[in-house]
Parts: sequence; structure tokens; C-alpha cells
Amino acid sequence: MTNVASNGKAITTKKTFSRETAISIDIQADKHIIWALLSNASDYPRWNSTIISIEGNIEKGEKIRLKSTLDPKRVFKLSVKEFEPGSRLVWGDAMGKRIYTLQTNSIGTTNFSMNEKIGGPMFPLFSKLIPPFDQSFEKFANDLKSEAESIQNSK
Amino acid sequence: MTNEQFTTEFEKTRPQLKSYILRITASVQDSEDIVQDTYVKASMKIEEFRGESSLRTWIFAIASNLAKDNLRVKKRWTEDVTDICREKALSNPNYFPEIMQIQQSSDHANFEVKEHINFCLTCISKSLPLEQQICILLKEVHQFKVSEITEILDITEAMVKYYLHTARQKMVSIFEGRCALINKNGTCHQCSELNGIFNPKQRFEEEKNKIEFAKKADHPDRQYLLDLRLEIVRGIDPFNSVGSDLQLHHLEHNRKVMENFLDKK
Repeated sequence: MTNVASNGKAITTKKTFSRETAISIDIQADKHIIWALLSNASDYPRWNSTIISIEGNIEKGEKIRLKSTLDPKRVFKLSVKEFEPGSRLVWGDAMGKRIYTLQTNSIGTTNFSMNEKIGGPMFPLFSKLIPPFDQSFEKFANDLKSEAESIQNSK
Repeated sequence: MTNEQFTTEFEKTRPQLKSYILRITASVQDSEDIVQDTYVKASMKIEEFRGESSLRTWIFAIASNLAKDNLRVKKRWTEDVTDICREKALSNPNYFPEIMQIQQSSDHANFEVKEHINFCLTCISKSLPLEQQICILLKEVHQFKVSEITEILDITEAMVKYYLHTARQKMVSIFEGRCALINKNGTCHQCSELNGIFNPKQRFEEEKNKIEFAKKADHPDRQYLLDLRLEIVRGIDPFNSVGSDLQLHHLEHNRKVMENFLDKK
């Protein structure tokens, strides 16, 4: 997995048979608030400007149907591969997987990182059809930071 | 604490506990049963009460757990509850005769817009996920602190804040789309319709002007309007208000309609 600075800027690494986008950001909120936001499927469209809808339950082994602003006409059918409350969430399909991780920093903030690697033997044939993720990743991370900090600071 | 002391303290809490459970269950019978079960359970466990939280917090924790186990509570209503129930009421030939009967026989059957606002919030809050509904009721209606809600629900402060925040956001959004008191294009005019039926001599515009959040409907801070709405709810005891018998009948009606609706779904 690519290591990136916690500055909310996405970095994409391209290889012949794969492409990987990663982002990291520090959030001044309890990791359980961030986890609640990441694991509540129906609530995503309220705070996340990159997600149109997510149907299903985000729980280990569950299938979800995700519509993203990246490709609004397409429904991504994904399965939740890992679900470790408060620390790690992975969903994906045969072509790739997205990994979310949360870590409490020494100063009490939470580091959020998100990484998506797509690829395979056929990847060079369709790689040009897949839009870049960078902007969407940055919006996702910043929306999450804004919403989580707003909840943390609520009375 | 002796059982006698406990009973005295419990009776002080009983009215607000009953209102709280009514708002969760929408059932008069269930709220009475759950409050009584809470009394019995708390009496049996009173020796375990260490005074680490207030007795009121401890009692609400026991009641909340009992309410969460209630099957009716687990079924969540839909945001358009008032539309669905209005249609059913209009097509039910017994509905208005029943109401007329209540009006003739009860001293608590006056229709007041603010009581309908309380009723409406109860119905809309039942469309929230249960944890969100419980958190918003505890914090905004029964005025528990976040730290006390963590004890009542045995969840972290972070989760209480998350549930409260999302509950408030959803309530604002639902009322924004539906409530004609704050949005000229709102789809629900039920309070003015009912006021026209029960208080035909009143001018609704005058009644509306007595409602602070309706008067300030153009205020840009929609959370503030929700706070004003919740302030009205805090001031109403649904079992002892001037229109309690009318509103409780209305609530029972909506509960039955929603139960049928959800069973068929």
C-alpha cells in the first residue's frame, strides 16, 4: 500500500497492470464517530458529496450496491471483505478493493487513510475508460473530516 | 435507599418517564406497561444502585432497555407517516364520530396547534433509526446531558454525538420538505386542516403567529427552527395537556395504521 502524507491530497501510482490511488488526512474527532460515518450505508449521501447512494448493510460478508458521482449511471456491486470496527474496512469486487483505515494519533486526533487498487491481466485494455479517482478521493476525505469534526464539536 | 424512598423518587419521575416511553412506542398501553415493568425491575435491583449516576438516569436506563426490547418499537415508521395516516382517517367512517364522542365526553379534548406539533414530532421521530430517536428524545426533550445519555444507553460519547447529530440533521430535512409552517411548499398542512375542523371560528394565521418557529420560518438557521419546535414539545405533557385525549386517540390511530402498513410492506 502506498504511504502518503496526511494532507488530504490524493496520490495515484500507475503501473502496467494496475492503478492505485491513496489519500490520508488527520481528523480532529474520535475514531468511533468516523467509524459510524463510514459504516452507516444509508447515511452516506447526507454527508458525502461523492456518493449518490449505498444500498445494503456495511458488515462483514454483506453485499452492497454503490452509486458514485464518478459514474452515476453505474451500480457497483461490492462485497464487504473486512470489517474491524473502529479500525479497518475493506470492500471491493473482482477488479479491485478499497481499504479504509483509522488510527488514533498521539495527540488524540484520528488519521484516516483510504486506498484503492484496481488491476489485473486485462487492465491495460480498459484502463483508459476508468476516470481518475484523485478529485473524488479528496472530496471524500474532506467531507468526512468536515462532518466528523462537526459532530465532535457538537454540544 | 429503602424501597419506600425509592417508590417516592420513582413517582416523581413517572410522568416524564411515561411521556418518554409514549414517544418511543406511540402506544398508551405499552407506555403504561413499560413504566410499570421499569418500577418492578428497578425495585428488585435497587440494592445494585450505587449512586454513580442520578436515580433518574438509572431509571431511564432500565426503561430504555425495556423499550428497546419492545417489538413495536423495533418497527420503524416512514417519513410520510402523516400522509398515509391522513388518508386512512379520511376513508374510515368511524374516525370522526369517535373524535366527536371524545370531544363530548372529555375535558381534555381541545385542539391546540402546539399539541399537534408535539404529536407530529412524535410521529416523525419514529421514522428515525431507534438509537437516533432515543438520543434526540433524551437530550432535547428530557434534557439529559450527553454524559448521562452514555450511561443510559451504555454507548460511547462519540456514538451519542453521532446519533444526536444525524437525528437532528434528518429531522431538519424531513420538516423542511414537509412542514407548511416553515416552508410554503411543504406538503403537510395537517395542523391547519385539523384546526379548521376543531376550531372553525379561529383564524389559522393568528394561531400560526403564536408559534415561534412558524413566525421565524424564513430564519436561515434551520437547526434553530428545530430547537424552537423542540421547545414546544418540552412544554407538553402528552397525558395531561388540554387536548391529551384527542391527541392520544390520534396517536393510537396512526400507530395502528402504520403497523398495518408495515406488515403489508
